[in-house]
Amino acid sequence: MANQSGSVYGLTLLCPIIDDERAIPSHDLQIRYHLSKLPLGPDSPFAVAPGTHLARLVVLDDVIYVGMPTCEEHLHSKYLVFECNCDGDRDSYLTGLVQHIPNQLDAIWSHCTGYPGSKDLPAFLDYMKKCQLDTTFFFAPVNDKSVNQTLSALQTQRAVAAFIATHQGCTDTHLQQDFKVFMDRLQKAPPPPPAAHCFARAMKTGGRNE
Amino acid sequence: MSKLNASDIQGFSLRGYNMPYSRYCFLEFNAPEDARALLLALLPSVTTGQLWDEKPQSTLNLAFTHRGLAALHLPLATLISFPVEFQLGMKARAAVLGDTGANAPEHWDSLWATDNVHVWLAIHGLSLDAIGKQFHALEALLQSTGGARLLESQEACALCIGGEFNLKEHFGYTDGFGNPDYLGICRSAQPGQGKLGADGKTWEPLATGELLLGYADEAGERPVCPVPHLLGVNGTFMVYRKIRQRVGTFRQFLNHWASRYGAGDDFAKEKLASKFIGRWRDGTPIELSPDRMDQNIVQDPNRSTNFLYRDDPEGTRCPLGAHIRRVNPRDAFGFEGRLIHRRRISRRGAPYGPAAPPEDTPEGQDTEALDAIDRGILFMALNASLARQFEFVQQQWISYGNDARIGNEKDLLLAHHERGDRYGIQGDGSPSNPPLFCTGLPNFTELRGGDYFFIPSITALEMLGRNLVDPR
Repeated sequence: MANQSGSVYGLTLLCPIIDDERAIPSHDLQIRYHLSKLPLGPDSPFAVAPGTHLARLVVLDDVIYVGMPTCEEHLHSKYLVFECNCDGDRDSYLTGLVQHIPNQLDAIWSHCTGYPGSKDLPAFLDYMKKCQLDTTFFFAPVNDKSVNQTLSALQTQRAVAAFIATHQGCTDTHLQQDFKVFMDRLQKAPPPPPAAHCFARAMKTGGRNE
Repeated sequence: MSKLNASDIQGFSLRGYNMPYSRYCFLEFNAPEDARALLLALLPSVTTGQLWDEKPQSTLNLAFTHRGLAALHLPLATLISFPVEFQLGMKARAAVLGDTGANAPEHWDSLWATDNVHVWLAIHGLSLDAIGKQFHALEALLQSTGGARLLESQEACALCIGGEFNLKEHFGYTDGFGNPDYLGICRSAQPGQGKLGADGKTWEPLATGELLLGYADEAGERPVCPVPHLLGVNGTFMVYRKIRQRVGTFRQFLNHWASRYGAGDDFAKEKLASKFIGRWRDGTPIELSPDRMDQNIVQDPNRSTNFLYRDDPEGTRCPLGAHIRRVNPRDAFGFEGRLIHRRRISRRGAPYGPAAPPEDTPEGQDTEALDAIDRGILFMALNASLARQFEFVQQQWISYGNDARIGNEKDLLLAHHERGDRYGIQGDGSPSNPPLFCTGLPNFTELRGGDYFFIPSITALEMLGRNLVDPR
């Protein structure tokens, strides 16, 4: 199960980008432009559609040769690389994307050679299957919980920490009373929506140091 | 590898001098030919890394900002070969370092508000007299060569309690443990100061290239070095940060939470203070002695830095977020500590400002008056790569807690806190070692300025002085 780590599926797609010298701007630039405008946080298409732990979209122009002796190799075309860790399997996850963010999928993948569009689901799934590579070794920080289970666990962690911080030193009776109310409320709480609790870090990355 | 050529390396790069007094002079170069004359005149006084038969009365060392090297009119091909973060300087890296809010460059002291600092000239001395003599000699050279202008001097002095100098900083903690040991550097190293060996038990020195340019580092690579190679080899990069400490705020915070911790007595207060740092204030590591201070351990070089966290994965002895566990996680991340070998730094700290009155006096509890006095620590750290070592530690381990498995929690005393920040102390449920969440965190420290410096070798200083830097 090269694409599976615990209950998490690692999906890797390499989709060739249309090479049309008459297209201005070129299709790969149009993808880059679209990706640069994608919203982050709760409005991200991958937060709107279910089941994504992590997703990354990359435009791969070519491979760069490094080393000796000189032996240049090039890709046959530019590729759109899509990598994600998700719940379920390939087809159920992709079906979820089609159901929730068809316009985003079409806006991005319509620049790829042979893309049939999201309206024809069997053709869409067939196309993605042809573009799939085995993910082999991939890292899933949490590989035995679904996105919703993880979000609920994080919600519980935040709530319990806040409860402790406000109840340190309480009498036993008071503590038990409040804890019952707290647990009741927590158990009834739905899982928070994905990316709703993004921690706003002012920190910028330094490039090579992370 | 054979012994390094200590006579070509500035002494400050190799070891802390352990002298009570110091004065850091910040200079701005004048015309490059005059500046070079000044460097040549200073060169015979520069303290090298050669071992002493007898400790000198004072020492002198030099380092330069990238602007300083540019002011010497080094060739452009050389200037652009330095690592990018050094070229940019610390101010431009504020967003990377988390130097925001009160720590942001717009609030720094006037010396650092401008971009005039070219040279860090450090005088360390056994007495104020010795410092004064060295300083007067410097003034005379500045006068005779016209090579540079003294912008400001920063005094520092070890804290003195009961007539004796000690290794404490203003919050009362004993400082200066655990600088790394490097291959080839003669220094009285002790277990726990290098890196954990492959057997997971013994300690070995870190690769020389983690400190000095021109040598293999822990990845077997040579760190990024300017061209020509000779300019960089045996040199190192230094970060200088003037960190003001708000002693009143610290004492008030400690008293407030100590009253809710354990028995709420004086012992609980000291124990809580130890949970902030990972050492009791007398220096005893809590990982080795969680229940009491023990000078036998502090004074024993085989024990004072010789400990691991593998038997304390939950942080019940030393909290996961305690300062020393954050900045030197030893084996806490597993893999026999191999994940941290490329993140070690050498520190040379010095307290500045007057010692605070003792805590058990009325003045020692006057929060506002204590905070009003400018006192703190001059934090200096040396490493081969500012980005890979210092900046990583500052960003990921001081200002974030993910690697320590404590999410967004930051270093209690050094990080810049925002509303909602917490400091968690793990406990084991026993009455004397309870868990505690400290909330409403104030900012205990405030960055007043600083910059990134290059500490060249003696050969490189001579090259700079004789205008022999040729990148071709």
